[in-house]
Amino acid sequence: MRRPDARAKAQGALVYAADLQVRGMLWGAFRTSPHAHAAIRSMDVQPALEVPGVVAVLTARDVREMIPSRPEGEALPLLADQEVTYAGQPVAAVAAEDPAAARAGAEAIRVQWEPRPAFVEIEREFPEWPDSERMRGDPRVVGHVRACRGDFEKACREADVVHSEVYRTSLVAHVALEPHGCLANVRGDDWYVRTTTQTPFGVRDDLADKLHLPASQIRVEGTWVGGGFGGRNEAILEPYALLLSRKTGRPVRIQLSFREEFLWDRTTLPAVFRMDSAVRGGQLTARRTRLLLDTGGSLPGRDFALGYSLGFTLGPYRVPVWELEGYALRTHRPPFGPHRAPLAPQCAFASESHIDSLARRLGEDPTEFRLRHVWREGDETPFGQRVPPFAAEEGLRRARDYIRSRRPNLPPGHGLGIAIGFWSTGTSMGGEARVRLGPEGARIIQGEREIGNGTVVAGLLRVASEALGLPVEALRVDYLDTSQAPFDSGVFGSRTAATLGYAVRKACDAIREELGRRLSPPSGPHPLAARLRWDSGRVLVEDGGDWIPLAKVLRPEEIAAGGLERWGKHYGRPSEEIDPSWVLEGSLSGYSDVVASVHVAEVSVDPQTGAVRPRHYLAIQDAGRVLDPDLYRGQVEGGVVMGLGTALTEEGLIGEDGRWQNPGLLDYRIPTMGEVPPIEIVALQGHTGSGVFGSKGIGEPPIIPVPAAIANAVADATGQRVREIPLTPERVARALGLLGRDGGEARP
Amino acid sequence: MSVTFHRPTRLEELFQLLQESPPPETSVIAGGTDLLGALDQGRFRPRHLVSLTGLPLGYLRPSEGELRIGSTLPLREIERWPEIGRWAPHLLDALKDVGSVALRHRATLGGNLVRASPASDLLPPLIAGEARVTLLSSNGRRELSVEDFLKGSWETALHPGEIVEEIRLPGPRAGAFLWQRVKPANDISQVAVAVTRQDPGGPGGPWRLAAGGVEPCPRRLYRTEEVLSEPWPSPRTLEEAVQRAREEVVFRTDRRATEEYRRHLLGVLLERAVRRTLERAGPGTRGEGGIRA
Amino acid sequence: MTPWRARLNGRDVELADVPAEERLLDTVRWRLEARGTKEGCRTGDCGACTMWVGGRSVLSCLVLSRDVEGEEITTIEGFAPTELGQRIQEAFEEAGAVQCGYCTPGFVMALGSLLKEQAGKPLSDEEICRELSGNLCRCTGYFGLLRAARRLFGGEASSPSDLSTFSVAERGG
Repeated sequence: MRRPDARAKAQGALVYAADLQVRGMLWGAFRTSPHAHAAIRSMDVQPALEVPGVVAVLTARDVREMIPSRPEGEALPLLADQEVTYAGQPVAAVAAEDPAAARAGAEAIRVQWEPRPAFVEIEREFPEWPDSERMRGDPRVVGHVRACRGDFEKACREADVVHSEVYRTSLVAHVALEPHGCLANVRGDDWYVRTTTQTPFGVRDDLADKLHLPASQIRVEGTWVGGGFGGRNEAILEPYALLLSRKTGRPVRIQLSFREEFLWDRTTLPAVFRMDSAVRGGQLTARRTRLLLDTGGSLPGRDFALGYSLGFTLGPYRVPVWELEGYALRTHRPPFGPHRAPLAPQCAFASESHIDSLARRLGEDPTEFRLRHVWREGDETPFGQRVPPFAAEEGLRRARDYIRSRRPNLPPGHGLGIAIGFWSTGTSMGGEARVRLGPEGARIIQGEREIGNGTVVAGLLRVASEALGLPVEALRVDYLDTSQAPFDSGVFGSRTAATLGYAVRKACDAIREELGRRLSPPSGPHPLAARLRWDSGRVLVEDGGDWIPLAKVLRPEEIAAGGLERWGKHYGRPSEEIDPSWVLEGSLSGYSDVVASVHVAEVSVDPQTGAVRPRHYLAIQDAGRVLDPDLYRGQVEGGVVMGLGTALTEEGLIGEDGRWQNPGLLDYRIPTMGEVPPIEIVALQGHTGSGVFGSKGIGEPPIIPVPAAIANAVADATGQRVREIPLTPERVARALGLLGRDGGEARP
Repeated sequence: MSVTFHRPTRLEELFQLLQESPPPETSVIAGGTDLLGALDQGRFRPRHLVSLTGLPLGYLRPSEGELRIGSTLPLREIERWPEIGRWAPHLLDALKDVGSVALRHRATLGGNLVRASPASDLLPPLIAGEARVTLLSSNGRRELSVEDFLKGSWETALHPGEIVEEIRLPGPRAGAFLWQRVKPANDISQVAVAVTRQDPGGPGGPWRLAAGGVEPCPRRLYRTEEVLSEPWPSPRTLEEAVQRAREEVVFRTDRRATEEYRRHLLGVLLERAVRRTLERAGPGTRGEGGIRA
Repeated sequence: MTPWRARLNGRDVELADVPAEERLLDTVRWRLEARGTKEGCRTGDCGACTMWVGGRSVLSCLVLSRDVEGEEITTIEGFAPTELGQRIQEAFEEAGAVQCGYCTPGFVMALGSLLKEQAGKPLSDEEICRELSGNLCRCTGYFGLLRAARRLFGGEASSPSDLSTFSVAERGG
């Protein structure tokens, strides 16, 4: 379907947070730490107050005074006043009449820093896998997970082959084109903020927590969003804007610049994966992953990130024995946060490169090896769960056919690489919506905003259209703020269309059932649900063979209210628990709905420069049921290209001083139009998901196998394996031995 | 302290401004695409901003054997001149990938020269093309080769009170320009090589070679030119030239590339640029012992 | 300070004062309140701020407002209602070229400028990619934008291969 917002966006007619302006508003700016780790000896804000145009300054002391009930001793304070633990950490916020004055005021604050040693490079500190004794009690360990099933060491002793490798992945930033921004206005007990967010209710609850206020006093309103990708789920700027508004009695606007957005980004940080596999009689008998994860200047409880990610490193393969261990390390980098399919592309890079490399070592075709081990519906997973309908095997067979057809014609210097990603979508996170059917059409009343993927502005319309039997022209989405909207978990986790859409469907079904009850039984497959039609702008309902205007069936109070309204709620199943006897430390997440992505990349590698160029890309996606082909296609196209960036060019460089070295588009390289290969997308339906109409989420799955597919293609083309992403020309050149001395890494 | 903006429409006006308030108090701006970024970063704080866009320096004047380009002509205009591919294919190769079209509607050759960024993609083709700059001040004109005009990274021979009036590019020449970057568009080159050869239609004159991404700034590869003495080099000669180039030049390691990789790339790009120049010359003009185009 | 005068979308505009360092992007967005043009990177790398000066696309984050006094400035608000503007909107809508929409006005202005410059000459995919390389998009992967551009440049005949094919297959099929 054509997106209802496309034309308006192409006219520049829609308002983003970056465009917000109200009369009388102040602008906010921050003073942040230049040091990755330092004590704050003293802070004097008086010089800031003397800058013309500055109206107020906010420090930690002000926060304590404004909200005395707020608990002390947070791991990551709103504004630091004792110690800073990452470069860019805010220590004060300034409100002024214009942006320049705000920045000048922020710079004028006098701070005495006492720099301390900074821990920035996890591998330099832990070049070998650390001893558990050493780690016990180490304050830098903010998460530790250890789990196993069976005896890995024994499996290795009995194995024909034990394959061991180390893979490294880099900092990858979200780089939405619109930086974070918001506008807050506090009046009495109404703490109102308008902000760019994927998760209005999540931000509300985060604000309730950070400001120690009842959620009912906080009102979050979203805007059109210039890209989310997982970076807009928390309350980042809003707490400061709200507090400054409270302090000054005026609306306060905060807007990060593009450069600042890099510095404030809470995203994927570097990781080191140690992968080991045991094979006996050609079968995988055991796998082990040991993961060292940089979680930056982060909050405790980061074993969630570990517990969630470790399982992905096993891949969707049957293996009877496994051992997983991970350390989340607190470093003096900015805090870690979720990206699109958090850490999954990195896990898949390590796991799928490893499987590929193992297959080649055994002299086996990588696709065949995967086919022999991949999960089929009904199999028991390594975590003891039953595999629901899952398209990986079928995807692999299709990919195998493709590779066979392509291989004979492959030009010299080209290579083909296959990789599988699997994802557990957030469909257990529920949502609610109201639908109101009136004489001229229906409205979907809900609390999310359109962030770009089309699920809210268009996807919900598609679902309602199908559920009601009305064309999308008869339908509209209403956007309410958190004080009025039905609750929804947020636009993330590839769960929105599947889950919120389900709530919409339930509301639609309830409407049709109610109408059916009021009318004589119609003929048709659902005797209780009324049939609807739309004709010349009016909704008609079938009544014993005739089509009558809806108004005839509505009650007077319903007509006054705009239509018959019903509420739909959908909360999916939580995932099954993992056998607790397998989990020795920390926690491990089971998977709820699993979605497969099977990709084949064709690349050419310049044998003299190491430059990798994607030439063709096949993406087979486990669709369940496609709700809208255009929206679905857009997510795969966009996800694959974002994955190409992670694979080939994107790398956030943080120096030993803990500061970003390339916070800009010139040196943090995201893909441009000319770098995109022809792509073939196959949406494979029929392996039914638990989403509405049997759908499965698609926002995140397409990005996951991309770096692995590219890396495997490079190995295929060159016979050399590069075990670090991004695969920049220089890294590949080194692996190819073009730079003499250390030569390349042996063994693909 | 507020900044004053000036946009003189006559040269006398400009020189008066520069006399009253010479650089660095005054920043002279042509297209501004490079300078304004530096201004934003607080790298300098001028009291005056003087734009040259009001002056009659945006021209393109071809004549026998020489192309004269006014210093404030937007790059896009040069790029779209129908003859540029014939006159200076090495320059066109570079122009097509400088920033973006919108950037090239404002960026200028003069601005690029005066900024003297060590990573500029336009400097190697100008150097290999033996271009010259005419510098203008209230005292008159003087002329330098582009090579002599560049003194180092971000450093030129421009005197206070002087501006670049025009760039003079001899031609037509055969040539090619190649770069290597991490990503193909909207990126800064790690290493770049420009080669030219005179007499594109005839037996072929001497090679002129220049490299970018080298220390301290883009420069001629004189010693390599000595080796590449044949207009149709044999594979052996080419290999020797590659070797000599790698020895001739100094590189550094930065976040874009290591010194090692740059050195390796220089040779690769040099060889490819020479081959491309020969390919463009066409099969009919091959001399004896020449390599296959 | 002297007043600043120019023409914006066909109308004369005058501002009492515009500082010397102020960028055209900010003058247009905040003083002239035309916020259809988006602020992106501010370093000339993303193209979100693209507008026209004298009918030619420029990166307004790198243009001093004082340097374009007296010029004809066209922003998305002025271009959108025109015939070419509407053709581009139609092509974008049809081709799935819009997701979050933040890069969209910049792309529209870049494309519009290019279409006028090329005056009907068809461009190959490679040429389109090169000419639009200064506009970045994080959502679409560029396929929809390239589909729209192809249609607008009428170059489909010269680009027989499909950029992106999409098919829905059934289990076991």
